[in-house]
Amino acid sequence: MSKMNMNLYSRGDKTFVMVNMVLIGLFTIAALYPFIYVAALSFSSGFAATAGTVVLTPVDATIAAYERVLTAPEFWHSYMNTMFYTIAGTLMSLLIVIPGAYALSRPQLVGRRFWNLMVAFTMWFHAGMIPFWLNMRDLGLLDSYFGIIIGFAVNAFNIILLRNFFESIPSSFAEAARMDGANEFQILWKVFVPLSKPAIATITLFCIVARWNGFFWAMILLTDDSKIPLQVYLRHTIAELSDDEEFAATLLSAAYSVETVTAAIIVCSIIPVLLVYPWVQKYFNKGILLGGVKE
Amino acid sequence: MADIGNVGSPTENTMPNVQVSGKPTFSERMQLLMYRVRQDWQIYVLLAPAIIWFLIFLYKPMYGLQIAFKDYSVFLGITGSDWVGLEHFQTLFGSDQFLRAVRNTIQISAWSLLFGFPAPIILALMFNEILKETFKKTAQTIVYLPHFISSVIIAGIIITAFSPSAGVVNTFLSWIGIDPVYFLTKPEWFRPIFIGTGIWQEAGFQSIVFLASIAGVNPSLYESAVVDGASRWQMMWKITLPSILPTIIIMLIIRIGNIMEVSFEMIILLYQPATYETADVVNTFIYRQGIQGGQYDLAAAAGLFNAVVAFTLVMTANTISKRFSRTSLW
Amino acid sequence: MNNSVQQPNVALKSIVKRYGDVEVVRGIDLEIADKEFVVLVGPSGCGKSTTLRMIAGLEEISDGELYIEDRKVNLVAPKDRDVAMVFQNYALYPHLNVAGNIAFGLNIRKVPKDEINRLVTEVAEILGLTPYLERRPADLSGGQRQRVAMGRAIVRHPKVFLFDEPLSNLDAKLRTQMRAEIKRLHKRLGVTSVYVTHDQVEAMTLADRIVVMADGRIEQVGTPMELFNNPVNTFVASFMGSPPMNQLDAVVESNAEGSFAMFGGQKIALPELEELQGADGRKVVVGVRPEHVFIEPTEDSSPIKVELDLIETLGSEALLHTHVGDTPFVVKAETHGDIDHLSSIDTIYIPTRRVKVFDGETQMAYGFVKAEG
Repeated sequence: MSKMNMNLYSRGDKTFVMVNMVLIGLFTIAALYPFIYVAALSFSSGFAATAGTVVLTPVDATIAAYERVLTAPEFWHSYMNTMFYTIAGTLMSLLIVIPGAYALSRPQLVGRRFWNLMVAFTMWFHAGMIPFWLNMRDLGLLDSYFGIIIGFAVNAFNIILLRNFFESIPSSFAEAARMDGANEFQILWKVFVPLSKPAIATITLFCIVARWNGFFWAMILLTDDSKIPLQVYLRHTIAELSDDEEFAATLLSAAYSVETVTAAIIVCSIIPVLLVYPWVQKYFNKGILLGGVKE
Repeated sequence: MADIGNVGSPTENTMPNVQVSGKPTFSERMQLLMYRVRQDWQIYVLLAPAIIWFLIFLYKPMYGLQIAFKDYSVFLGITGSDWVGLEHFQTLFGSDQFLRAVRNTIQISAWSLLFGFPAPIILALMFNEILKETFKKTAQTIVYLPHFISSVIIAGIIITAFSPSAGVVNTFLSWIGIDPVYFLTKPEWFRPIFIGTGIWQEAGFQSIVFLASIAGVNPSLYESAVVDGASRWQMMWKITLPSILPTIIIMLIIRIGNIMEVSFEMIILLYQPATYETADVVNTFIYRQGIQGGQYDLAAAAGLFNAVVAFTLVMTANTISKRFSRTSLW
Repeated sequence: MNNSVQQPNVALKSIVKRYGDVEVVRGIDLEIADKEFVVLVGPSGCGKSTTLRMIAGLEEISDGELYIEDRKVNLVAPKDRDVAMVFQNYALYPHLNVAGNIAFGLNIRKVPKDEINRLVTEVAEILGLTPYLERRPADLSGGQRQRVAMGRAIVRHPKVFLFDEPLSNLDAKLRTQMRAEIKRLHKRLGVTSVYVTHDQVEAMTLADRIVVMADGRIEQVGTPMELFNNPVNTFVASFMGSPPMNQLDAVVESNAEGSFAMFGGQKIALPELEELQGADGRKVVVGVRPEHVFIEPTEDSSPIKVELDLIETLGSEALLHTHVGDTPFVVKAETHGDIDHLSSIDTIYIPTRRVKVFDGETQMAYGFVKAEG
């Protein structure tokens, strides 16, 4: 429909198309503006920020806020923790989810309906925050790197998404491999995984994004500040800065303020997301549909 | 097709003259079982980690849900604590705070549904009318972006932008002569800010489903409409929208099924005692009572209530969806 | 087919496949000789693919016994049966190039690298794939993909080839070409082959022996010509041959001159058959192949009045679509380069010795001579 020649349009259509474009443009700007605002704020002087004069571009441009953020060892520490949680956590997820989804997709699996229901049921009913937390405590996984990595390694949605993709692979691929002498491990590794690159990329990216952004459980489960990820550090810093009026007062005269420091931390933690975003975008269209409504 | 007597050396077979029909013997069944195990054991090895994970991390907590009916003591443990029946539920339903949380959950969900649900549909319809591919791609890339930003950062941005002295929102208001408002301490402002943030963050991303649905519309419908002299506006209303109606209905049912699932992570980041009145939902109530207050049994009871209501809603939604479109949600 | 009894390469004894209570294969007995090319043919759902998959080991055998080279293989894994299969959709791995696809099974079996290279080169040469070894399946034509699929089967030098409708994804012209190629390949390699298809033309052209199946059972086994000339029942008669055998419902009437089939006030002289003695008034089905009908009077033939509906010209031959009463009747006639003389036809001549008679109740052929083997 978009391929049609614009010249063929009536005047009404042309107006409609133009108005629509303007509206989309406005919405896009609205989506983008908060990021621009934060970026501008992070490069502004503390005085300008506190006075509320920053709107679009930095006022009294300075990198003082970044100096404050980047010289804090806790910032780097939490950054490294997030890196670790993201990489190790994603690997752990794939290690459990890919084989699990494969097994659930195999027609010869005895009790296949039962196992699938067991996985799917957790999407509709979950025990909730408190029993989960008590369970983590009983397992000795409070305040533990491993607890964060294993405790959130799997979710039913990802397994089902990948299982659906595996099921859509014609059975002759597995059968041909079986006749060629491949065992189930080999069929998975040499046939299904290469055939499912888009789906696996999708859940990998879901995992990465979830891990990078994960905040609530990290905040609850981790008490040792040396183990917290970036998001929790960010939260602590924002809360500290805004709650501690005395501290805030000492900042007033400085080149940075509560707002500019917060903005600088935000910018620093968004940058990795922006870097992987183009790759994410390539896949999530497919991904969200893969796991969406199943006939 | 006569009998083939000389086929198959009998020495190789355990049963030289197998009865071809009739019930298999015990040893035949065992042989078949062994064959299947030899063929398929690896599948179970592959399945095991996932199943064990589900048992330990999701099903074991369901067993722990019994503390909702117990006077939970850390020393006695989940199994050892004494039963108290429905005492916690009585406490909950006698508690203004809990009832307020239930009310807030439903109200926030309902308002989000009312404003948040149409937004991605409108956005998708509008994206579909854009002719310049580069403009469309760029705009889509930008409006999808907020979905990938963590709630902590979003909350950080909101707190900064709405702050009374430095925030840009109050800067705008000062331009038109309005005194600064400390938005995040005002109960009446919490919901608009929360719901607006939700739309800003998710509308773009959610539009993908509808765009995909639009892409599936048979192009010949548009071509024949053009021949009939329809305007683009008319085509949008008369062709596109009816064509994606099934998707809209399914997504609506899913949303209604998830009405108890308010994104409480964001609420925890944005609310403060001054706004509990309108902001406190069941999950934030559980968080405060249980994790922060240590009243595990009471909080677990609230969680069970939430989960049961949610489960009922989802099941109902799926039943309706099946009847409506012969499409199950899973 | 005499050797088949002495040295069967594959033998099926009362093979049954059940899914729950549903029997999809209801007792198949079949011996396939070494180097023989056997085609299982039948309408969809007749159990031919299931039978093939049981030979492959992809389906468990519910009942009966399966032997490959004198070894009972009911409970032998597919990979240990020494059989190779060509699938309908080829099942080529898109992430591997042609060489990788052909070598897949060898790699899995840990065959030494040098040996793999030698085998792949050899197979590629046989199939004319040498220039394409580095290409991915996506960059190949349908025929080339088909060849790669065959290469993957050939490379392991199996005892038995299994083909599951391998040509059904190709267009008509390519299908004819690949059919010939499969035939040539079989001649060259001489490996026992079992081939499943629903296309009777493929069956006729490829098979040493055809197995016609319907509803989970074997209807008839025989060489293509046996099936064509001597169908065991109306099902086989109508399934084999293109266009299929004409069938007319009739009633037997005998007099001094012999037996006749009476229908709609007309009659066809029937050949002398044991079953027709004293069969007056019995309902029968009269079968006549379109290519056996004459349009001019000949010796020992019955003239039948027909109404001509239309003529399909095939070139040297034409199909006359006619009807007798309500029953359609197709005649294949030579054109001699012109169809004008065909357009006025109202009488056809059915040679008595070509007439097949089937029982009206059981649909079984009268005077059926069971072929050896």
